[in-house]
Amino acid sequence: MVTDAFQKRKERQLLWLLLPALLPILILTIYPAVYAIYLSMTNEALTGVAAAKPRFLGVANYLRLFSDGRFWNSLFVTVVFVVGSAIIGQFVLGFISAVALRRKVVGAPVFGAAILLPNAAPEVVAGFMWISMLAGGEYSTLSRIMMALGLPWVDWLNTFPLFMVVMVNTWRGIGTAMILLTAGLAAVPAEVYEAARMDGANPRQTFMRITLPLMAPTIFLYMLISTVSTISVFGLVYALTRGGPGNKTEVISVYIYNQSFTAFQIGYGAAGAVVALVVTLALGIGYVRSLKVQV
Amino acid sequence: MAAIADKRSGAYTFLAYVTLVIISIFCLLPFVWMALASVDTNAKLFLKWPDGITFEHYTKVFAEENGVRWFANSLFTVLSATVLVMIISGLGGYALSRSRAWWKQPFLYAILLIRVLPSTALLVPLYKVLLTANIGLGNMLRPITGEYYRTVMQWFGFIDGYLGLIVVLATGQLPLALWIMKIFFDGVPKDYEEAAILDGATLVQRIHRVLIPLALPGLAAAGLFTFMSAWGDFLLPLILLSSPELQTLPIGLFRAFLRVNEIDYGLLAALATIYLIPAVIAFSFARRFLVQTFSGGVKG
Repeated sequence: MVTDAFQKRKERQLLWLLLPALLPILILTIYPAVYAIYLSMTNEALTGVAAAKPRFLGVANYLRLFSDGRFWNSLFVTVVFVVGSAIIGQFVLGFISAVALRRKVVGAPVFGAAILLPNAAPEVVAGFMWISMLAGGEYSTLSRIMMALGLPWVDWLNTFPLFMVVMVNTWRGIGTAMILLTAGLAAVPAEVYEAARMDGANPRQTFMRITLPLMAPTIFLYMLISTVSTISVFGLVYALTRGGPGNKTEVISVYIYNQSFTAFQIGYGAAGAVVALVVTLALGIGYVRSLKVQV
Repeated sequence: MAAIADKRSGAYTFLAYVTLVIISIFCLLPFVWMALASVDTNAKLFLKWPDGITFEHYTKVFAEENGVRWFANSLFTVLSATVLVMIISGLGGYALSRSRAWWKQPFLYAILLIRVLPSTALLVPLYKVLLTANIGLGNMLRPITGEYYRTVMQWFGFIDGYLGLIVVLATGQLPLALWIMKIFFDGVPKDYEEAAILDGATLVQRIHRVLIPLALPGLAAAGLFTFMSAWGDFLLPLILLSSPELQTLPIGLFRAFLRVNEIDYGLLAALATIYLIPAVIAFSFARRFLVQTFSGGVKG
């Protein structure tokens, strides 16, 4: 039935169907990614002399980048941001929620919806709402809650800026972690728990010896994806602190934005962008390999 | 023995309630402030019970601010991008599912990798690409459009134009949508198409009569995720749009908040609520697809 000629014609038709997807990805994603490498070796700018006549600089931008304390600071802030919010905050609270929801609690759908709601909030809305919680010194909502509990208040965004940004991003991602880890927990066969119970394992033993090891692949996958997606968070941090005070919350995406679109140094910003691309690509290759995608 | 187990189980259940209540309060508190402030006659930066209930802030967003315009711009660009992605990813996802060609595997790996690239990093060169394209387009259109030049560029320009924003928003969501559609078509048996081929249907007829009806659930998932990401996107309109007539909701909200000397918290909260509602609706529909798409093809 399926002849060679027919198969060939079919493949050609399929390629045509893929073309409308291929073109925008090539022009607006792949080409810019490659072009970033070229730009990073020029003094390209948005305004001024360099905008009219960019010069080729070789690796000068990279040398400048690697001796720029602000760049290293942004890498450090990004690592704290990712580890604090994606690896620790979202994961721990999401896991706790998933485990708690497995008990037969009344109103589980309500709790689930409440925990998921922050995921639906656009980045700017999230930033704006949290300004109400944290900004304004003694008038901020959090300070008032602290005072009501008889505790001292602080100017949160100025005293612990990075910690607060980590907390807000944690808040935003508990729901996703919860949903994925719930799916992972549900995939552990009930017989395994039954067997553990018969052997007289207590809940802690069951959790440490059975749940965690069996969940390890899900957890690993979750952490890779959330790490990669947290590196690209921009709007939330920008709306909340714009990288400040000082550069205390300037994550790499805000750093690139500030260099390129506030200081208008496109070439220099591109060097930062290339570093970010290389790091995320390396993580991405790990992600694709660990998926063991069969395509 | 059983009694001890019950007691312990009861303690764990109690602990579960306490934990869930605390985490839920943490998650909901900012929303409570926003909802209350948006109807408070005397809204403040901090959480408080309203002095009086009013819907004035909402009417003000539409009557005095450019709320209608921002909302219309957001809806127009995001829905256009969503429709575009649904069409393109529907066709492409089908091709990726049915093809046995050499390029299939590299392409699938590539779109998974593209998903992880941070948009801020791509935006610098992308902006240059769009700027060059925009200058070229401008030079081409200026002689033939005459006095309508500005209006035409606002619609079809790549920088500070609807078309540029729509195309870039759509491209950003394409990899995930293609992946969703590919997985979806993998689950659609080929029997229907083969039957249609035997009946002598052409490719176009096959797509129109057989595949689109079958693909609707997949398209719904792809569309919802595209809508959510594009609706929430702040970076692209921030960089690509500058004309006040083209501003979208996130930028309107952000700019309104920067007017430091005259911040009207009630108005801002109302604006943020208006911006939030479509996102929540889309999310509540998309929730059931979350696990499959997030793992991005664990089962291939």
